[in-house]
Amino acid sequence: MKKDDKSNIKKIVVVFLTVITMFTIIACGSNEENSKNLISSEQEDKKVVNLFGPMEKTNPDADNVARTAFDMTVAMAEQRLNLIVEYRTYTAENYQERTYDDVTLDRARNNMDDWYLLNPDTIQILGSEGKLADLSVLDSAKNLREVVKTANVVNGKLVAIPQEIVVHGLFVNKDMFDKYHLPLPNTPEEFLECCEVFQQNGIETPVGANRWWLENFVFAQAYADLYNGENTEEEIQALNNGERKYSDYMRTGFEFLQKLIDNGYIDAEKAYISEAIEEERADFLAQKTPIVMAYWGAANTETAYGNTDFELQVIGFPSQRGQMPVVSMTGYGVNVNAQHLKDTMDVLDIIFSDEALQIYTKTNKVISPSKNVEVDCIEALKPLNNKIEENIYVLGSNAAMNVEQWGNTCIIVRYLLNGASVEECMAEFDRLQQKALTK
Amino acid sequence: MKKKQSKNKTNKGIALLLSIIIVFCILATVVFSVSRKISTEMSNSAIQNLSESLDLMKGTIEAILVKEAEFQKLIAQEIANIENPEGFVRSYHKNQTMVKLSIILSGKTEGISNTGELFSEAELNFSSGKTVDNLAISESYLNYMGTWAYTMKCPVEKEGKTIATLYAEYVYDSFDKSLPNGFYNGKAMLYIMDAENERLVLKPKGMGERSAGHLNLEDFFRANNILEESLRKEVFECVKNGKNILFYHDVRQKSALNYMWSVNDGYIYLIGYVPIEAIQQEGKTVNQNILIVVIVMLVAFFLCCMVYYFNQKQQNKIRKEREEEREIHNKRLAQALQAAQIASNSKTTFLSNMSHDIRTPMNAVLGFTTLLAKDAENPVKVREYTKKIMASGQHLLNLINDILDVSKIESGKVVLNIEEFTLKDLVSSIDAIIRPMARTKKQNFHLEVTAIKHEYLMGDKTRINQILINLLSNAVKYTQEGGDIWFRIIGLKQRSSQYEHIKIEVEDNGYGMTPEYLETIFDAFTRAENSTTNKVQGTGLGMAITKSIVELMGGTIEVFSEIDKGSLFRVELELRIPEEQADKQFWKNSGISRILAVECGEACKDIQTLMKDTRVTVDIVSSKQEILHNIQQYYNTQQQYNMILIDWNILDIDDIEMIKEIREMLTDSVPILFLIDYDKDNTKEVEQVLCIKNTNTLAKPFFVSALKEKIFEIQSEQKEEEVPETTKISTLKGLHFLAAEDNEINAEILAELLEIEEASCEIVENGQLAIERFMNAKENEFDAILMDVQMPVMNGYEAAIKIRALNREDAKNIIIIAMTANAFAEDEKEALEAGMNVHMAKPINIDVLKKIVKQYVKRKE
Repeated sequence: MKKDDKSNIKKIVVVFLTVITMFTIIACGSNEENSKNLISSEQEDKKVVNLFGPMEKTNPDADNVARTAFDMTVAMAEQRLNLIVEYRTYTAENYQERTYDDVTLDRARNNMDDWYLLNPDTIQILGSEGKLADLSVLDSAKNLREVVKTANVVNGKLVAIPQEIVVHGLFVNKDMFDKYHLPLPNTPEEFLECCEVFQQNGIETPVGANRWWLENFVFAQAYADLYNGENTEEEIQALNNGERKYSDYMRTGFEFLQKLIDNGYIDAEKAYISEAIEEERADFLAQKTPIVMAYWGAANTETAYGNTDFELQVIGFPSQRGQMPVVSMTGYGVNVNAQHLKDTMDVLDIIFSDEALQIYTKTNKVISPSKNVEVDCIEALKPLNNKIEENIYVLGSNAAMNVEQWGNTCIIVRYLLNGASVEECMAEFDRLQQKALTK
Repeated sequence: MKKKQSKNKTNKGIALLLSIIIVFCILATVVFSVSRKISTEMSNSAIQNLSESLDLMKGTIEAILVKEAEFQKLIAQEIANIENPEGFVRSYHKNQTMVKLSIILSGKTEGISNTGELFSEAELNFSSGKTVDNLAISESYLNYMGTWAYTMKCPVEKEGKTIATLYAEYVYDSFDKSLPNGFYNGKAMLYIMDAENERLVLKPKGMGERSAGHLNLEDFFRANNILEESLRKEVFECVKNGKNILFYHDVRQKSALNYMWSVNDGYIYLIGYVPIEAIQQEGKTVNQNILIVVIVMLVAFFLCCMVYYFNQKQQNKIRKEREEEREIHNKRLAQALQAAQIASNSKTTFLSNMSHDIRTPMNAVLGFTTLLAKDAENPVKVREYTKKIMASGQHLLNLINDILDVSKIESGKVVLNIEEFTLKDLVSSIDAIIRPMARTKKQNFHLEVTAIKHEYLMGDKTRINQILINLLSNAVKYTQEGGDIWFRIIGLKQRSSQYEHIKIEVEDNGYGMTPEYLETIFDAFTRAENSTTNKVQGTGLGMAITKSIVELMGGTIEVFSEIDKGSLFRVELELRIPEEQADKQFWKNSGISRILAVECGEACKDIQTLMKDTRVTVDIVSSKQEILHNIQQYYNTQQQYNMILIDWNILDIDDIEMIKEIREMLTDSVPILFLIDYDKDNTKEVEQVLCIKNTNTLAKPFFVSALKEKIFEIQSEQKEEEVPETTKISTLKGLHFLAAEDNEINAEILAELLEIEEASCEIVENGQLAIERFMNAKENEFDAILMDVQMPVMNGYEAAIKIRALNREDAKNIIIIAMTANAFAEDEKEALEAGMNVHMAKPINIDVLKKIVKQYVKRKE
């Protein structure tokens, strides 16, 4: 028995020494190659496609989850197509500088990039200018939900596809509402009451606003009936042919915003110069502001509202039909004159495939544009998700409307913030409608 | 001592450990130093490489800028020669580098651009005063294409007079193609920054972070956590002065080398960082290899240590085993020495005892012999002395026999003489010896035989006898007067049908033994008390002999004893049952097929058991009435009883009439036997009963053989009554012997003894002379030859063989009696094998001689 043990130990030592010797020989051995060229094939130039997108400021040592999810799908495309997607970015340093949308329009018009991440207004503009390629030819486009197609078709072309259906909502600090025994508001009146109570309790500006997203209040009140009624198409048709006026829809919303401004529930001056999330984020996270507005993904992103010390709830904007999520379509469009058009289309076909969107949705926990991909959202987003599941929402942009909604309303809201009256704002809508009609 | 050794070992171990630790520390220090030196050298080399790379990029960008400026000057010269400079500008089509061309004629504030728009210098900021090849260069701005651009202005001179200013807009994107597609394996970050507004105007492909872009220098610092005021101040100072700066700072928790490289005298900067791990990849690889080598060395070292350790362990183990072995060996030697000493002591004691024991009877012999010589005339005293001399001689003989036995047993020369015997003979002989001894000491001797299934057994009867006599004589010796001695033979359950399993118990209520003595009771040369102080004589060899014999027979012996309470010896033996018991036809021939046994309790069951094999029916009745009834029932039928056995114990004086009645009921030929205890003193009653015709006694316990003997005796008596008595030789009178005996004294004693018996003898000195004498004798001159065994010239065995071989009629028939002091069974066997008729142990017992002579002479007749 003991003899066996000894024999085993000897065997193990011999094997061990043999392995070490082998490793040493392998390590010392040189890799003789036939080719005299010292540059490996991997170092050869790869194909490149250029993406232009907004730049999100990053914090030290923080990961941008939203970008990470996108990167994962891009990486998939890069690997499969053996190319590199170069990111080009721009963000205005301040409100006085040209906006991302302005720069995007310039760059698209001058064929500077292959593909773009486009806001709804630029989709409408570039689509109508014929600057964007028709993406309906992509295989992955067949899986898209109908609402996605509806919102992004210009002149019969599918000009943009989102990786997520962006739903805007009110981000509320549930703890603060509970503290003052306030139910979450359903209607504009309830919302105003809440603001009043907060203000009475020393919260001077209950709503944290920026220069981009106040328009969601307007859309919620303006189109709650239009999109949740039974005559949606007819009403849009009436708006497009001038039988009905956009200003009639928008007025209550603007009047509501005016009240918020007048009562000091929002700081109009600050909002006018604030970029999205940047200014209001700190106060909201510090629980100085109980209400902000943002898009769905902000609830999942640490750089936005993904990590709060309080109970976060995301609800719809107040309307006479109750809480109303506002859906907008930020999508990717391809420059019709792109230098690497085919490669770009191939990239898009991959990043919009069900496989890629599954990864994207799983990572970001957002509503997918593919009808084949479902989301498992966090608790805070459930109120908003429930509304979407019930088909209760309004569209913030609709390519079927001849007056671009998202960008124009945003600009007109800025007029209001800058001191224009509701009447002046309505007049601007009438002017835009008239301009569209004459076009 | 051991503690000291252990302490020394521990100290040595600690010293060895410390040495190893020191060696390792030195090794670690050397490795660390080498590694650090390599790292530093690699770092310096890497910094140099980085600087060179950045210089290269700087040179490239500066070259582009100069070329752009030179080209612009050429255009300006061209325009100077054209009559319509604005028309020339309008007709310009942008290329990838120069995307806009504008001109303002001298004296005007606005001009035109090739894009068709009005152009004013107010849109541009030339306040920094930076130039390229003497052309002023504007602050970077976002142009109409949505990309970062700069403008250089060039005066259009004609004949030494400035007629206009030409503005050319260049985009930073054009640098991208001239810059490397990433460096440090794509791990280095690089941005081009306008020094004036600190905006990051270009992220060359493959060089920026994909997960986020950077807005301006402040954003770059914030994102990379470069927040130290002093550092930032230094950086801003360098930027302000157009100097390069290179500094270490962690980026995303990794040590990185940050750089800001001035281009075109600080008009623009190349800013970014490269992780140290990327810059020092070679150093890391070298360090990793050093580490691998160190690890391999350590593993090898530990392997050696392990091998050494196991070797030492093995050595220690072997050493320990040897030490243990040596210790065991020493222990054994010590034990052997002790045993030898004990044995020596025992033998010394034994010799001392023997000396005493031999001297005592010898003294008696010599003493009484002296007295005999003195009182030879006094017949009374002579008889008394000879009697005492005889007793002493007998004792001496026993002593010598025991010593010889022990000697034989110890040397393994004892051979069992297996033959058929009956328990009846065994018990009778024992009883005949022990009972008188017990009676002498007024002790009660109880004999019990129960549950024996077979009384004919195979075994060495002599040796069994020896065992029992030893045990019983000890019991008698060591039991006080009036004590009880029990002798039991109990049949046990047979383990094999071929063997009778018997248990023999010898119990007494005598002195008992101490537990200490019990432990050595079976050892040779021990005795309960030292013989010099003990009144009881003995060799101290009896128990050792007994145990050895029992074990030789495959049996066991055990002893239980308590001081003053008595002892119990228990012997278990398995004795073979003879395959064919002799004379099974005896019963048939004797005409006995049915026996009536009357009230003998357990003994009756034994009768039934023992008679089982004889095919004789044994009926048992318990009352006197039943006896008569049974006898009447079968009287005069074929099943009538052929014998009646009556337990003497149930009878009283009045029952004699009943016996007579029974006698009358039976035919005279049917014997009535009474089972009588040996020790019951009831001679008168028995005599009365025996007056009744054909009655007799049978000693308890019941044995078939005894019954057979009795039947034979009765039948013989009946025959004797019928046949007249023939002449019997009862003495040695008239017989003539030839005796071969070399010892003169023995020869004389023999001659005297025979003479006393009125027999004559001729004595020769050896076997050879005996043969010669016999050869010369007339036929049947000698009635028998008494042959000593050990003799000079020719021994007895040889002489016997040769006598038998003689060609004479009487040589075959002459009775040769071996006379030898060798009293063992083997001697007897050898004597018989040599053709002798019988073996007689010396000294010669005249009664034994008579018996033998009677037996053989009769046979001869």
